[in-house]
Amino acid sequence: MVTDSIANASISLAPNARDLPLPKKKRVRNSKLKQSKLDVRREQWLSRGAVKNKKWNEEDNRLDSVAIKAREDDNLSSKKINMREIGEENDGSVHHHSDFSDSPSNSPPSIGSSILGGNDSGPHFTGSSSSSSCRSSSSCCRSGSITEEEEEEEGDDDCLDDWEAIADALAATDKQHDQCSESSPRGNVVSQLDSCGDSRNELGVEDGDSGVQRGRIAQRASMNCRAWRPDDAFRPQSLPTLSKQLSLPNTDRRFGCGGIPWACGGVMSVPTSCPICFEDLDLTDSSFLPCFCGFRLCLFCHKRILEEDGRCPGCRKPYDHDPADNETNVHGGSPTFPLARSCSMISRS
Amino acid sequence: MAAINRYTDNTAPANPVVSPAKQSLPPAKTADSQSVLKRLQSELMALMMSGDSGISAFPEEDNIFCWKGTITGSKDTVFEGTEYRLTFSFPNDYPFKPPKVKFETGCFHPNVDVYGNICLDILQDKWSSAYDVRTILLSIQSLLGEPNISSPLNTQAAQLWSNQEEYRKMVEKLYKPPTAA
Repeated sequence: MVTDSIANASISLAPNARDLPLPKKKRVRNSKLKQSKLDVRREQWLSRGAVKNKKWNEEDNRLDSVAIKAREDDNLSSKKINMREIGEENDGSVHHHSDFSDSPSNSPPSIGSSILGGNDSGPHFTGSSSSSSCRSSSSCCRSGSITEEEEEEEGDDDCLDDWEAIADALAATDKQHDQCSESSPRGNVVSQLDSCGDSRNELGVEDGDSGVQRGRIAQRASMNCRAWRPDDAFRPQSLPTLSKQLSLPNTDRRFGCGGIPWACGGVMSVPTSCPICFEDLDLTDSSFLPCFCGFRLCLFCHKRILEEDGRCPGCRKPYDHDPADNETNVHGGSPTFPLARSCSMISRS
Repeated sequence: MAAINRYTDNTAPANPVVSPAKQSLPPAKTADSQSVLKRLQSELMALMMSGDSGISAFPEEDNIFCWKGTITGSKDTVFEGTEYRLTFSFPNDYPFKPPKVKFETGCFHPNVDVYGNICLDILQDKWSSAYDVRTILLSIQSLLGEPNISSPLNTQAAQLWSNQEEYRKMVEKLYKPPTAA
């Protein structure tokens, strides 16, 4: 049943996707944004050996398979109805769930919601606001799905605040892609592919982490000697889990590398014991970040220090900005977040 | 518990006998020194695990609030090949207050006086509870090679510092290796 629905969906999708009168620019840009999945694509093409002389039909293939993958996400998420429902509650709209199976052009919202389904455990989810903006963007064309997904990820933290930065970043990548696609007819296709891929690699800091998954994908791709097609027998079973694996660590990695202090501190570098008294940090302690410098300590030691000289042991600056600061620090990812994002995007070009 | 009491007694000899009337006071004291104890034990563990070359420290047999440390002069400094013994004395409110650190071995250094007192900012106003024995030892070790000439405790050493050859001779002349004890 699962395989059937997937096959149907993707078959109906593939021709449509190619027929859609998309501005290439937009597609390219979106594909860039979708770097993690495209990394995987690139691996496939490279292992495919013979680069087909369809010129930039490659691009179409790529988008097709991205769409297919997204579709897989949908199917996966429709299997997980519970998660799905959560995502939709967050979304504030139920109808686009049913839309996606009818017409491919409506798939974007469902992709978004499937992503939401994956991410909905995130504490800073602001689904309703972000999804409304995303729905408007997705209504124009299918390629909206990709941006939308990005936006949804952004939306997990203060989506709306980040709009300007995102727009800047998009513009920057857009320009770069214009050059890229202009030069493509002249140059040979392989080198073009390579250069694009390389730039993507420079950007994708996550290469190392997803190495295992990519390895598996590459292996499968070489086995098939082609990208996943709608009629590909291997695709349905394996893809959902793969895309799941890819998307989840991906966000983690992005957050880790994105220079979000609270995320880094919150997820990766929370010491297990207080560096002052060496007592274990409990849950309250480990979510306690009294100073901008990121030095953590237990509440007891913090209180003790406040009673004495009141300076942070990590940076020796006084703890004057106290409890309110905690809050801003936790959510304070937003000022640095868009910056880091746009920087990384610009560095791509 | 007995051990803790002993430590408490050592550091607070004024209150050797815990009378029933004073039972309310000691718990705070005990809890305090217990946390210091934990911190010092953890530090000792970390120091032994770190395997830093040229520094070492260990508590005295009967009192974990007093440590003996050694540092060796870094390579390519005038103190190369020399070894210095230090004493650490931890206050009851360590690490919120710095330990008292002194050279036990005589050290001819601009920032060490003849009594072994050390002029090092992190042992005074620049102390942070994030420092520990290991970082203190490393700081003192690097202080040997990079003295602060502008505020010397040993003016003779400060004046001689510019002449590294002569300084090295002076170090060798005055150096008395620490005894095994």
